[in-house]
Amino acid sequence: MSVSKKVVLLGHFGVGKSSLLRRFVENTFSDNYVVTIGVHIMKKEVVINNENVTLIIWDVEGTDDFTKYRPSYLMGASSFIYVFDAARKVTYSDLKYNLDHLNEKYPHVPVHIIGNKVDLVDAEELEINLEEQNVKADYLSSAKTGENVEQLFTDVAAQLLKNA
Amino acid sequence: MLKPLQEEFVNNHTQIIVVNRECKILETTNTLFSVNKDAFLSSFHPFFYSIPSLFEEDKEECYFHCIHMDVLGKKCFYDMRIRIDAQKENATLFILDLTDHYKGVHGIKQTRNESIIDFNISQELNNELQLQRGFKNKFLANVSHEIRTPLNSIVGFINVLQNTALDREQLDLVNIVKSSCNNLSSIVDDLLDISKIEAGRLEIKNKRFDFRALLNELSAAYRLQSEEKRLEFIVEIGENIPRFLVLDRLRINQVLINLLDNAVKYSHEGTITFRITTTSRNLRKIPLTFEVIDEGIGIAPENLDSVFESFNQIEKRGLFGGTGLGLSIVKQLAQLMEGSIEVSSVKNQGSIFRFSVEAGVSHDQKAKKEPKAPKKEIKSGDTSRKRILLGEDVEVNQLLMLKLFANHGNYSLDIAKNGEQVLRFLDNYKVDLVLMDLTMPIMDGYDAAARIRNHPDKRISKLPIIALTARVSEEDREECKAVGMNAYLTKPLDEVLLFQTIEKLLNKYKRKKDLS
Repeated sequence: MSVSKKVVLLGHFGVGKSSLLRRFVENTFSDNYVVTIGVHIMKKEVVINNENVTLIIWDVEGTDDFTKYRPSYLMGASSFIYVFDAARKVTYSDLKYNLDHLNEKYPHVPVHIIGNKVDLVDAEELEINLEEQNVKADYLSSAKTGENVEQLFTDVAAQLLKNA
Repeated sequence: MLKPLQEEFVNNHTQIIVVNRECKILETTNTLFSVNKDAFLSSFHPFFYSIPSLFEEDKEECYFHCIHMDVLGKKCFYDMRIRIDAQKENATLFILDLTDHYKGVHGIKQTRNESIIDFNISQELNNELQLQRGFKNKFLANVSHEIRTPLNSIVGFINVLQNTALDREQLDLVNIVKSSCNNLSSIVDDLLDISKIEAGRLEIKNKRFDFRALLNELSAAYRLQSEEKRLEFIVEIGENIPRFLVLDRLRINQVLINLLDNAVKYSHEGTITFRITTTSRNLRKIPLTFEVIDEGIGIAPENLDSVFESFNQIEKRGLFGGTGLGLSIVKQLAQLMEGSIEVSSVKNQGSIFRFSVEAGVSHDQKAKKEPKAPKKEIKSGDTSRKRILLGEDVEVNQLLMLKLFANHGNYSLDIAKNGEQVLRFLDNYKVDLVLMDLTMPIMDGYDAAARIRNHPDKRISKLPIIALTARVSEEDREECKAVGMNAYLTKPLDEVLLFQTIEKLLNKYKRKKDLS
């Protein structure tokens, strides 16, 4: 039996949401930044303990103000993946504000926090910066190198299966 | 007539699909893309996986904007209106092709986002640079202070040594050591100034002062230095230069000293001309131009542009030897005073440094009467030795003060190692004046001074306090004033000034006591 679950990638523009998705679904990467407008949707089937989960991943256009997200994009989501750019503080300095909004509007949807582009930053420096901003990332990933990308989506799928 | 237009602009850009609760296609117009009846729409694109869940939502209609789909290898953007009929358990999808519109939006957003990201990145780099610069300035300030402290002791002891019975050769050697210490001291001052300027902590304080007197002082000093190198020194002061100007005397002096120093240093023969002119006879503000013209070694054309650059680059180039901080400071001071500095030079023929600044003209061009000099001795009849308490933790500084006081029989000196000991001493002994170092362990000079001023015993709370410190910043001076210290002397201590200040404060204190 296979279940399908809607997962939404959220975050500022240019943080690498589309790159994470392409790395996960197609195993490709491009350094060129191509802006996403509206929503781009891809799916991938993940096998967890012999059970299939089809992740329907909505890559939503980035914004720094989550209150501006169209509710229709987030409606029916089983999981949110909040992506920030580890090399740009501005993309995680307002994380708490945006998380509060998600928790208020979608209290039952789990949020995974991902610091992407770790290949561009010094690990120690990043740790200090995140601590300064009181940000706790669930994963530090790189769509470019593939670091933690598969792991992230597999864990999301496992959690969805567990909660199903 | 409208039918073909409707066909072109409406029908060809819309598609209607009816699906059941499981997303099985019941009907379709297939105008935008082709799907088969009875097939599952979700197999065409993952967007349609969301249709079944819409039946769970308490909504009759949903609108989805800008859904990105690849149709037959072509990128398309669709808006979708989905009407749910819960009774019939089906959904009608009205799909509108807005690809052309959204492609236009895409281009605009691409440019906008790229420029915002570039701005963010440059802002973060800038913040990082500011942090590094802050660290550098703090480091320079701390190192300068650390160097200054032992240097002060060396200069102090050299002064003491100079007044002992030395033969000619020993005196020459001591003079060389003293001159080297003075050079080192000015390098440390330059480092402090650079760090202050870069940290934006150096303020220009314009006040009325005797400008002609300053020019006379400078002329006398550099005429002497020029004569020592067999150079001719010519001073040309424009006739319409007022006597009293409103400018920052300290910083004007610093700029001119740097320029004149260089002229003397890099000239081996010929003339140095120090020219001060103005083109205006305005009674409120005049543009001043200072020119220092030498016939020295000059500067090669390829080095002219970088003469005023930061000391790092000058140091690499090694053009001027030493630290090369002087001209960098001159340029930054000129900018802070809203003036300008420029140079023209020919290698092996000489240089012209031209510093221009706008000066306020004091409305009062008369010299004020000199205030009466303080009486040299403490009132006659008062023959008792005055007891001075020194708060100082560094042993070598304590020793230096003991040496200085040994030549002044009017005073006795007691020493406390920190602020706490100062307070304890004052509680147990009668003291006439406190000399207070600012940086001490356990309790620093500021804290001790504040506690003295708040002491319940008036005999203690009114005591004159003189701050003695290697710290030279305006902030430190202000802080001393704020905690109630009466005077502020910087190390290396000028012996004459120290005892003049002590005497002045003791007299003032005694007068106040007599009056009360």
